[in-house]
Amino acid sequence: MAAAMQPEAAVSTTTRGAISIQDVVKIYDPHGAAVMAVDHCSLEISAGEICMVVGPSGCGKTTLLNAIAGFHEITSGRILLDGEVLCSTEKPKAEPGSDRIVVFQSGALFPWKTNLENVAFGPLVQGTLSRAEATEKALDVMADAGLSGVEHNFPGEISSGMRRRVEIVRALMNNPKVLLLDEPYRALDSLTKSVMHEALLEIYYKNKVTIFFITHDLEEAIFLGHKVAIMTTRPCRPKKILTVDIPHPRDYSVLTSRRFRELMEETNEAVHEEAIKAFAAGEKEG
Amino acid sequence: MTQQDLEAGVPHADVLEIYRRTVPFQAVPEILLGKIAHLGNSAFYAAGEIIYKTGDDANDICIIVSGRVEHELEPQAQARRPLKVLEAGDVFGWAALLSKYPRRLAKAICTEQAEVIRINGEKLLRVLETDPAAGDHVMSQFATMIARDYTVPGLGAMLRKIHRRIHAGDVQGMNLTLYRYQQWLKSPRPYLMVVGFTLFVGFWYLAVEVWKLPRFRDMPGITAVVKEWLNPDPAYGLSIYTPEYYKHIGVSIWRVTQAFFLATVLGVSVGLMLGWSKKFKEYVFPVFETLRPIPILAWVPLAIVMFVATESAVIYLTFLASFFATALNTMLGVESIDESYVRAACCLGAKRAQVFRHVIVPGALPFIFTGLQISVGVSWFSLVAAEMVSGQYGLGYVINTSYTMVRYPTIVIGMITLGFVGYITSAMVRAMGDHLMKWRTRELALGAQ
Repeated sequence: MAAAMQPEAAVSTTTRGAISIQDVVKIYDPHGAAVMAVDHCSLEISAGEICMVVGPSGCGKTTLLNAIAGFHEITSGRILLDGEVLCSTEKPKAEPGSDRIVVFQSGALFPWKTNLENVAFGPLVQGTLSRAEATEKALDVMADAGLSGVEHNFPGEISSGMRRRVEIVRALMNNPKVLLLDEPYRALDSLTKSVMHEALLEIYYKNKVTIFFITHDLEEAIFLGHKVAIMTTRPCRPKKILTVDIPHPRDYSVLTSRRFRELMEETNEAVHEEAIKAFAAGEKEG
Repeated sequence: MTQQDLEAGVPHADVLEIYRRTVPFQAVPEILLGKIAHLGNSAFYAAGEIIYKTGDDANDICIIVSGRVEHELEPQAQARRPLKVLEAGDVFGWAALLSKYPRRLAKAICTEQAEVIRINGEKLLRVLETDPAAGDHVMSQFATMIARDYTVPGLGAMLRKIHRRIHAGDVQGMNLTLYRYQQWLKSPRPYLMVVGFTLFVGFWYLAVEVWKLPRFRDMPGITAVVKEWLNPDPAYGLSIYTPEYYKHIGVSIWRVTQAFFLATVLGVSVGLMLGWSKKFKEYVFPVFETLRPIPILAWVPLAIVMFVATESAVIYLTFLASFFATALNTMLGVESIDESYVRAACCLGAKRAQVFRHVIVPGALPFIFTGLQISVGVSWFSLVAAEMVSGQYGLGYVINTSYTMVRYPTIVIGMITLGFVGYITSAMVRAMGDHLMKWRTRELALGAQ
C-alpha cells in the first residue's frame, strides 16, 4: 500500500512531464498601454512533481498556465516539456494537446454529456479507442476513483466536489504528462476541500503525473506540494521557491504537524506582502 | 417485546439526544429523528464479544450509546487508517447503506461492555425517503463520515441514493412535461389564471355591453361573439359548426409549419455559422442586421413581385421574421458558450470539427430553443400580414376579409382562435426542447424539488 512507500519513491517513478519555464515574458497590450503580466519568469518542475504556484488573485499565474496549455501566446522566453520546445519567442503559442490537460477553475465538464461520456470523450475524439473500449475504460477508472453510481448522471446532478473528481479522471483517461489545475477547489467549502485534497493525493499516488497547481491558498499549497512557488503580483515571477520536505504520502494529520506549521510561518510573510501589493494595485486601477 | 415496543414508540428526549450527537443525524428535523429513533433497537455486548466480522451480512447500522468498540476495516476497503477505536456517539456498520456491499467490510469487537443501538439500514432508507431533503443531508453526512473518520474516500460514493416519489433519473422529456403539469395543478397558478381570464372577459363584457364606454361602444360584445361562434347557423358564415372554420385553421397551421420548418433549418445553420466563424459574421451580420428590423408588411409588395404563386409568397413572408429570430438566438447561443468548454475539448484532443459537433451545437441548444419559441410565436404574427396576399383561406385571411366586409364578431373569432392555436404550437416546441435537452431538464427538475 501507499503507506509503505518510501517518500522519494512517490516522485521518482515518473520520468516524463518535466517542465522548464525559461525567462518567460508576457506583455498584454489591450488598449495601447502595455501591461506586463509575467516578467522574466523561470521555474523548473521535475517529472512527477506536484508544483504549487501561489499568488494573489490576478497576479498572472493563470497567464503562465495558459501559456503551457497553449491557450495564449508568450512575448518572449521559452517553455519546454521533457526537453521539447512548447513555445518560444519564435513560436509564441503552444499547440494545445492531450499531454497537458487543464482542470478549470469553474469546471469544464460538458453539462450535456453524462459523466461517463465526459470521461470517455478524450480517447474517442483522438480516435485512440473505439466507443466500446473507451466506455469500458471510463467505467474502470471511474470505479477506481470512487465514482461508481454517477456514471449515467449528468454533471449538473452531482455535487461540485464529485464534479471536480470526474474532471480529473477525465483528464487522466488520456494518460497526460502534466495536469494543469487552475484553482480547481476555489469554489468548494473547506470541508469538501479537505476531502478533495486527500482524493487528489490518492489519484496522484496511483498515476504519478506532474501537477502544476495554481492556488491562492497557502495551506493547500504546502499540504499538497513537493514544491511551492510563491509568485510576485503583476508582473508575475517567483518570489520564493519552497521545497516542502514533509514526506509523501501525506494525509490530513500533516496539517497539525510541527513541520507544517514551521513551513507556514516561513512563507506566510512573503505571501502576505504580495497580497497587500495586489490589494493596493487593485485600488489604483479602481 | 411489548415493553420495548412501548419504549420505542415514544422516544424519550434523552434517546433523541443520543442520535443528535452522532455525525450523520446532527441537524435532522425533530419529526424525522423521532421516526428514526422508532427503528432503533438496543443491544448489549460484553467485553471481547464480536458484534460482526468481515463478510457477514450487513443489515444494521450501529450507534454506540456507551462503551468502546474496536473497528478494523479489511484491506480491500483501502482505508488509510483501517483500525479505529469507537466510543459513545460514534456510528459504524455503515456498509448496510452501501449499494454494492450487502456484507460487512470490517470487524467490530467490543473492548469493554457496550450498549449499541441497531437500526436496520433498509428501514432507515425508507424513513429517510419520507423527507428527501433531510434524507439527502443524512446520506451526505454519512459520506463525509466515511471519507474523513474512516479514511475511506471511495466508498462514500457508493452510498445508496434517497429515492423520491419521482426519480431525478427518470425525469426526461415527456415525463418532465407531465410532471410539470401535475405540479402546476397543485400550485395556485391555474386558479390565478382562471381569475385572470375572468377579469379580462368580465371587463370586456362590462365595457362594451353594460357601461358602453366611449372607445368600446362599437366593438363586438362577448355575447355576440360567443353566440356567433357557437351558432350552427352563423349570421356571418363562420362558427365551430361550419367546415370552413377548420379549413381556415388547417391552412394556417400548414403554412406556419412549412415556414417554421424552413426558418429552423436555415436559421439554425446560419446562426451557428455566425457564432462560430468570425469571418462569416463580418460578411453577413451587417446585412442581417439591416434586413432584420424591416417589418413584414413592408415586404408584402416585394414578396408578390418575387413569387409568382401566392402560396409561396405567404410562406416566404411568414418565414422571414422567424428566420431572423432563430438565427439571432442561435448566434447568441454559440457566443454564450463558456470558453472553458472549447478549451477543455481542445486539451482532450478534439479537432475543430469535433469541437463544433460536441461543444458548439449542444452548448447552443438552450438558446436555440428559446429562439424557436420566439420564432413560432413570430410566425403566427407574420401570418396575418402574409395572408393579406393570399387567395381564400387562413385565419389571417378571415380577419382581413371580415374587416372589409364589416363582420366584427368573426374578426374576434379569428383573433381568439389564432391566439389559442399559437399558444398550443409554442407549448409543443417547449415540450420538444425538454425532450432534446435531457441534461438541462434534469438539472431543472432537481432544482424544482
